[in-house]
Amino acid sequence: MTAEALVRATDVTRSYGVGALAVPVLHGVSLEIRAGELSLLMGPSGSGKTTLLSILAGLLRPTTGAVELCGVPISSLPDSAAARVRRANLGFVFQTYNLFPALTALDNVAEVLTLQGHSLREARAMALRSLAHVGLADRTHHRPGELSGGQKQRVAIARALASDPRLVLGDEITAALDSATGMAVMEILRGLVGPRRGVLIVTHDHRMERFADRIIEMEDGLITADRPGGHA
Amino acid sequence: MRRIAIQSLLHDRGKFLAALAGVAFAASLLLVQMGLYAGFLSMASGIIERTGGDLWVMPRGIEVIDNSEPMSGAARAAVSSHPCVRRVRAMVYTFVSMRKPRGTPDAVTVVGFEPGGDPIVPSTFHRGLPQDLHAPLRAAVDHLDLHKLQIEGDPIGASLEVAGQTVHIAATTEGMRSFTLVPFLFTEIQNARRLLHLADDRASYWVVDLKDRRCVDDVVRHVRRHADLDAVSTEAFIESTENHWVKGSGAGSALAFTAILGLVVGVVIVGQTLYAVTREHMRELATLKALGASDGEIVGFVAWQASLLAVLGGGIGLAQSLIIQASIAQAGLVVLFTAPVVALGLGAVCFMCFVASLWSVRAVLQLEAAEVFK
Repeated sequence: MTAEALVRATDVTRSYGVGALAVPVLHGVSLEIRAGELSLLMGPSGSGKTTLLSILAGLLRPTTGAVELCGVPISSLPDSAAARVRRANLGFVFQTYNLFPALTALDNVAEVLTLQGHSLREARAMALRSLAHVGLADRTHHRPGELSGGQKQRVAIARALASDPRLVLGDEITAALDSATGMAVMEILRGLVGPRRGVLIVTHDHRMERFADRIIEMEDGLITADRPGGHA
Repeated sequence: MRRIAIQSLLHDRGKFLAALAGVAFAASLLLVQMGLYAGFLSMASGIIERTGGDLWVMPRGIEVIDNSEPMSGAARAAVSSHPCVRRVRAMVYTFVSMRKPRGTPDAVTVVGFEPGGDPIVPSTFHRGLPQDLHAPLRAAVDHLDLHKLQIEGDPIGASLEVAGQTVHIAATTEGMRSFTLVPFLFTEIQNARRLLHLADDRASYWVVDLKDRRCVDDVVRHVRRHADLDAVSTEAFIESTENHWVKGSGAGSALAFTAILGLVVGVVIVGQTLYAVTREHMRELATLKALGASDGEIVGFVAWQASLLAVLGGGIGLAQSLIIQASIAQAGLVVLFTAPVVALGLGAVCFMCFVASLWSVRAVLQLEAAEVFK
């Protein structure tokens, strides 16, 4: 049985600027990310990885082409509707963690859940479970400034995970971490993959390939290879 | 979003305290200026307000209580002839020269009133009672004017030379001072007439109480049939007197200018702080936007911070204003905090924080969720 497509891009192009000054970044990319896969999107700087990731997440609109996220044509939706689709289906993890420095680890996770309509009490219970899942049950009341880089990234993963998203997107999530911590973080992300959930990570780091089911390579705005990863 | 916003603002204590001080400073500046303005208005028209009545009768051409001229008793008879008139009270109000105990020449405003009236004029006594003024050439002055009048020690029994006659202080009042800073000398009407050498039926104003307030316009028309007389409602007389002194003198504009300056300073300080805090959290806010937070929720980050600063800064500013009010009362300056003054002042503080937040609101609305990957 073929796994469910979580995101499907069809002939996506994207240019920055207009008219004669327009700079094309993506040249007709078609791609499908399925549940049950951890995919790596790799390529040199300027190859269009981050632009493609933004378009797949519904954060940027393609210049031409279409994107479906969990069956919803997100690229043609108004911003507010696209935001609702992201809220219901996506989790994000970033290189710089993007945690609120004033909030504890628990509240960094819980506050996102309250924005999704959960009560604070309910959100904190969910956040606690999520932090325990990434091994931070004993750091819930620490602020980001009191945590190591790896711990911060695990808080960010807990935040991405807390609302049980269908697809987790990550951008250079191990770039700021030492090798051992990076591997540990990848282990956690690997564990998130399930029959209903997929993970897509943009990275330069070839050491991550062993965690991946699939490696998608890009160059000059085109997908140049789509091959199995070390975990396949 | 409330918790994220407030905790993020409180996290940087230095910035938070600077912004709070800015709001509190602006709030107290605003409130004190508005209170001073209200105090000036109250001082300018206080005697009219405390004397009351439904309308005031005066020689034609008088627009301000301080520009009085004596009228004959015929005017009283003319007013009283209207069937709606219940009572007509005589009032003397005029500047006269005086000599202070150490011989310094100066002036006082003699306020002569009918004894036993309702309301009692003067209405607030600091020492003594209205009946202490019954005896000949007895008067009351405000206790804050004693120093100016060179009355030292116990004022009761002290004497002043007013219009060449010796007047004894029998009581002191509180909160009854003139906008012109010329001290009031309150005395019963027969004493005032004696000091000013007026006949027993003469007065500066006739204060009219009506049986029915709805007759005001009719009685005014009735009085104006007399070529040398004019009449205005008490409210209109208060307004024209306040306009003359406070607005006409430029005092109102000066106070308004200072209040606006306070607002501008507050807007700059609060705006700068909110903007700095917002800029510092752009990446996190973009993350929330990427996770599906709406523009309204993201704007809430700024709105909650502005609201917190408005509430705390406004509260501290009000407390500071009350301290300032008590301190400068010793110097004789009246800062009047009526409910409308406080409501308007705190409303202006909220408006200030709202305006200050607009830069940050604009910044977060322009925030692209895709910036999370930059």
